Amino acid sequence: MSRQCASKPPVHSIPADAPRASRWPAPIVPTTSGRAASRALLFAALALLPSSILHSAAADEPYGRFQFDETELEHWSFMPVERVRPPAVADAAWVRNPIDAFVLAGLEEAGLAPAPPADRRTLLRRLYLDLLGLPPTPEEQEAFLSDTSPGAVARLVDDLLSRPAYGERWGRHWLDVVRYAESNGYERDGAKPSVWRYRDYVIDSFNRDKPYDVFLREQLAGDELEGSNAEMQIATTFLRLGLWDDEPADPEVDRYDQLDDLVGATTATFMAQTVRCARCHDHKFESFTQRDYSRLLAVFEPLERPRDDRTDLDRPVGTAQEVAVYNEALAKAEEAVARVRREFDEAEWRIVRRLAEAGVLTAAAASTDQAAVAGDGAPANPAAAEAAAAAGPPALSLTLAADALAAFQVEPAQRNGDQEKMVKKHRKELRSLLDKGATPEESDLLASLLRDIEQAEAAMPPEPTKAYIWYEKSPQAPPTYVLARGDPRQRLEQVEPGVPAILVDGPLAPATPTAHSTGRRRQLAEWLTRPDNPLTARVMVNRIWQHHFGDGLAGTENDFGVMGEAPTHPDLLDWLAAEFVSSGWSIKHVHRLMLLSNTYQMSAEPDADAEAKDPHNARLWRWTPRRLEAEAIRDSILAASGRLNGQMGGPSVFPPIAPEVLASQSRPGSGWEKSEPEQAARRGIYTFVKRTLLIPELEVLDFPDTNNTCEQRAVSTVATQALTFLNGQFIHEQSRHFAERLMREAPDAAARVERAYVLALARPPRDDERQAVLAFLAEQEQRIRAEAQSAGSGADQAAQQALEQFCLVLLNTNEFVYMR
Amino acid sequence: MQGASDVGRTEPARRLPGATPCGRTRREFIWQAGGGFVGTALTWLLARDGFFVQRAGAQEATPAGPLAPKTPHFAPRAKACIFLFMYGGPSQVDLFDPKPELTRRHGQPIPNLDADPLFKVRNPGTLLGSSHPFSRHGESGVEVSDLYPKLAGCIDDMAVIRSCHADSFAHGSGLLQMNTGFIRQGYPSLGSWVTYGLGTPNQNLPAYVVFLDHRGGPIGGAPNWGAGFMPATYQGTQFRTVGDPVIDLNPPEGISRAQQRGQLDLLRTLGALDTGAVARHDELAARLDTYELAFRMQSHAPDAVDLSRETAHTRLAYGLDNPMTERFGTRALMARRLVERGVRFVQVYSGGGHNDENWDAHTDVNKNHELHCGETDQPIAALLTDLKQRGLLDETLVVWGGEFGRTPTGQNGAGRDHNPRGFSMWMAGGGIQGGQACGATDEFGFAAVENRVHVHDLHATILHLMGMDHENLTYFHNSREMRLTDVEGRILHELIA
Repeated sequence: MSRQCASKPPVHSIPADAPRASRWPAPIVPTTSGRAASRALLFAALALLPSSILHSAAADEPYGRFQFDETELEHWSFMPVERVRPPAVADAAWVRNPIDAFVLAGLEEAGLAPAPPADRRTLLRRLYLDLLGLPPTPEEQEAFLSDTSPGAVARLVDDLLSRPAYGERWGRHWLDVVRYAESNGYERDGAKPSVWRYRDYVIDSFNRDKPYDVFLREQLAGDELEGSNAEMQIATTFLRLGLWDDEPADPEVDRYDQLDDLVGATTATFMAQTVRCARCHDHKFESFTQRDYSRLLAVFEPLERPRDDRTDLDRPVGTAQEVAVYNEALAKAEEAVARVRREFDEAEWRIVRRLAEAGVLTAAAASTDQAAVAGDGAPANPAAAEAAAAAGPPALSLTLAADALAAFQVEPAQRNGDQEKMVKKHRKELRSLLDKGATPEESDLLASLLRDIEQAEAAMPPEPTKAYIWYEKSPQAPPTYVLARGDPRQRLEQVEPGVPAILVDGPLAPATPTAHSTGRRRQLAEWLTRPDNPLTARVMVNRIWQHHFGDGLAGTENDFGVMGEAPTHPDLLDWLAAEFVSSGWSIKHVHRLMLLSNTYQMSAEPDADAEAKDPHNARLWRWTPRRLEAEAIRDSILAASGRLNGQMGGPSVFPPIAPEVLASQSRPGSGWEKSEPEQAARRGIYTFVKRTLLIPELEVLDFPDTNNTCEQRAVSTVATQALTFLNGQFIHEQSRHFAERLMREAPDAAARVERAYVLALARPPRDDERQAVLAFLAEQEQRIRAEAQSAGSGADQAAQQALEQFCLVLLNTNEFVYMR
Repeated sequence: MQGASDVGRTEPARRLPGATPCGRTRREFIWQAGGGFVGTALTWLLARDGFFVQRAGAQEATPAGPLAPKTPHFAPRAKACIFLFMYGGPSQVDLFDPKPELTRRHGQPIPNLDADPLFKVRNPGTLLGSSHPFSRHGESGVEVSDLYPKLAGCIDDMAVIRSCHADSFAHGSGLLQMNTGFIRQGYPSLGSWVTYGLGTPNQNLPAYVVFLDHRGGPIGGAPNWGAGFMPATYQGTQFRTVGDPVIDLNPPEGISRAQQRGQLDLLRTLGALDTGAVARHDELAARLDTYELAFRMQSHAPDAVDLSRETAHTRLAYGLDNPMTERFGTRALMARRLVERGVRFVQVYSGGGHNDENWDAHTDVNKNHELHCGETDQPIAALLTDLKQRGLLDETLVVWGGEFGRTPTGQNGAGRDHNPRGFSMWMAGGGIQGGQACGATDEFGFAAVENRVHVHDLHATILHLMGMDHENLTYFHNSREMRLTDVEGRILHELIA
């Protein structure tokens, strides 16, 4: 039966009547056919090489073809990036930077005109929400609106890009793509230890404008790069963010599921390709073969998961020297602890032996598994008891379970594992017996040795920074095979690490093993960050464009294959990609280019004529308005209410989840801690991402599926959103804080309404709005009073309750949850 | 017939162009996910355009969002499905699969064990004969043990499948597979596929409802009724049997319905006063409509589960007077009321939490199953009888089963371990030919050997009975047309009347 890999999906962003040729003007580059021809020749040559070199499979194997047709070879995203000259346009005055030239050329070609610029307040709010995910404060609004000098917008953009909140906003976009979650999913859904350090690494990398090529190399191979340090190693947490079944049905298949996750995450994130489809057979619609897949898998095959049975472990990170210093200190300290423990054990053993020989300490009748009560059982050894009785009543009779006593009587160095366990289990119990039976000297000795143990333990070196990463055992790689139908038990040929044949003109630079690893991931990272890699820069600038404009220039941001949508503005995409690389892969440079273009600063107002010609705004005749993401809505509510806690970094927090929701767990509340209210009011990016239990306020607003990479969130409009944001605990608490803030900060109802609008919507209310709200406040107050009266209760708070309800309504308005 | 269907066709409402792992473009998503569990007129509103404009072809689409009722691939036998999920894994050899040989060889080691890698891992005890006598029931004479005395009276409506098998011996992945077809996390559940394929005739209630056990959810929690890579619109909605059926259905104490009406009026007024063409867009109007629908639900949802409207006779029949049967009986009766109101898929859990709180009888299978059978026997019998009396059984498919079965060998003495190699399930109503037992396990009831039925086959059959071809009900994801049944699935025609 065939996999139902789809037929080509309709490309919907093209106006139905626009002929394809005029829609996608050919890139302004010499010609591509020469290059395609040479690539075709190369592949033909590869296919003719002796099979021992390339592949051992017979020519008619159902996988691993080496020949590609011209369409495949000339597929747009496989072609080199060309720095295209911005086109000439009729209305040159509109062009503020090259982006505008590309966009305007397309508009003019279609007989469309760009929308007028957005007004300054609208632009201000748009920039804040876009770059920070937070509305501007009243003071920030005032500062920008009063600065009418040239360059005010550019200064604002620089200011926003320099704020820590920028990394929290844009880092979250990245976390979507890399399937970030803080638990493993499945039955136990265990927490991933130290995984939050990766989240902080991402935020910090965006804030520092870490060059994207460095960012990429660190995430794939931070442990293999020169001068590898804690930060670089933390970056490789990227590879370990996926699901993990700690009790898999088939461990061997599960191992390849984990590797498949790595191939999928890497190729989707950095290459926007769907290589995963080639796990069981050649990709049915793309140019990837099962051999390509296996070669990529070989890159990750050496990785091992640090674990202790079902417990997932983190690992110490640091420079080679830091790790060596720590390991040495640790070994020393452990030796010191072991030494004093040994002394203690021996002293204890001598006392036990003395007491046993004296008949003071005897075995209880029952052994431990019969739940004997220490010190209260009949002696198990009648002969010893009789002897003791004959010698006159002992001053003291102490009993311990027989098997425990036996273990304590074995000389410490001779104890086996079971005896060690027994000793550990009963030590406390023995201690209370010795308190009665030991001489003062013996007691002093034990106490002194215990103090020594405590001291030695306190001298342990401080726990090093740990990260949630994989490791490689050695520079030697295990073999990787092409697996028939993806079945790990059916090996076909062995393969070496590599990248898809359609993408390489020749062999990769060989991997350079490090002392502890194969260097394969670094080899892949180096290839991906070559300036001439056709995918890497295009994929990333497309993602940046997507978040500024709503959709990528190529609308399927994780799929640049033939099944994906072709870019609406291929020349612009290439120009941006080239600019990105030549700027030193600076993400902030690309932000500035986009944000300071007239294209970005256009109004979002619709236009009937333009819509008729280009209903999807594919040609960008206006800025596309859109709903904010879940975290941005939540954070904006907290900002308006004044409760937002701007604390950065560290372990994630746990906002309260209603007991009714927790009841869906097999152990209600399991894995969900309780954070203090101030901690729960931190930004959404710091809330714990548990794979089987999402925070309802975020889930209902389309928090992404974390099982896989998510390049574009859903925007659903469902009644449960209305329920959550009309009736839920979070919105009511924040509405109350918001109202209390207004009471504090403004003297009367009219001033409070004014302030509420400025805080929430970054603008004062218009007269009709003010009147409508004031009328509501009066009516609602009346209603609350009347209801209280008929219920026979007081209504002291009626005015404030009405104000709270207005706050709740304001936070539910379309304007509040939309960027426009 | 096929041509008239709009299930799983390359048609904008349910075919996602350009999708990669979670996705599609934002434009698609709005089109796709709009409407929601209380469907709105969003689609035609969107089609009127201005903001996120309609796509070519949208005009032919049904006019009420992703949950609008859809024409199935072919005439369905069942309009709704109630899946009674016996979480933990009921023991087939103690319920529906009599094994005299097992009883005869009680205490002996199970032969030929080495051939099974699974049992090498699980370290089994010796064969454990069932303490529960089986007898023939109904005209058909199909055998049921004395653990299910009342349900046995319905045997002529039930088709028992004795040869089920699945792929995981762990609860977590086993539950995922029975619910989503895959042992891995991240796939849409059966109920999601059904609502994706068929929509729902009642836009005022969720299309897919889940009742959890009073002792807690199943292992793995929400992904068991999740929509996986589909929009959240298709995920199951938890209904509770006490308090508000849906979480956050009503405002907190102190806010009356009149006050909330006032809030919604203000919301509507401010929306109308919002100036500029952007604000007037239909997408935003549709968003405001969901608030009105939420408000209306405050009366619809409680009414749907208001058991005080049932007769005393019905309440007694479901065992609501008996503490043993009251909880599951309540869920079963609510399920019937929801199905009557057009809800497509209702899942009712028996068993929650861990160990003996559910059917996971590791220490004493008798004690465990006496409890869980005791809780479910009368309510399930009442449900089948009630549906039949109301003429609803013909169009309602009832499915019973857990994520796997249990071993014929003992564990901890009188307990039984997990066993996905062979187990029993049954179906009734909705086109099922009752009074039959199909398939067989080996002489001990360990592994399915005759007419083996995999989870994919069960799913294929359920979809078939609901009018859908499991090979053509697809959702584009990860560059593939994904199916509930992956690349497998066989329709169990022998079960169908």
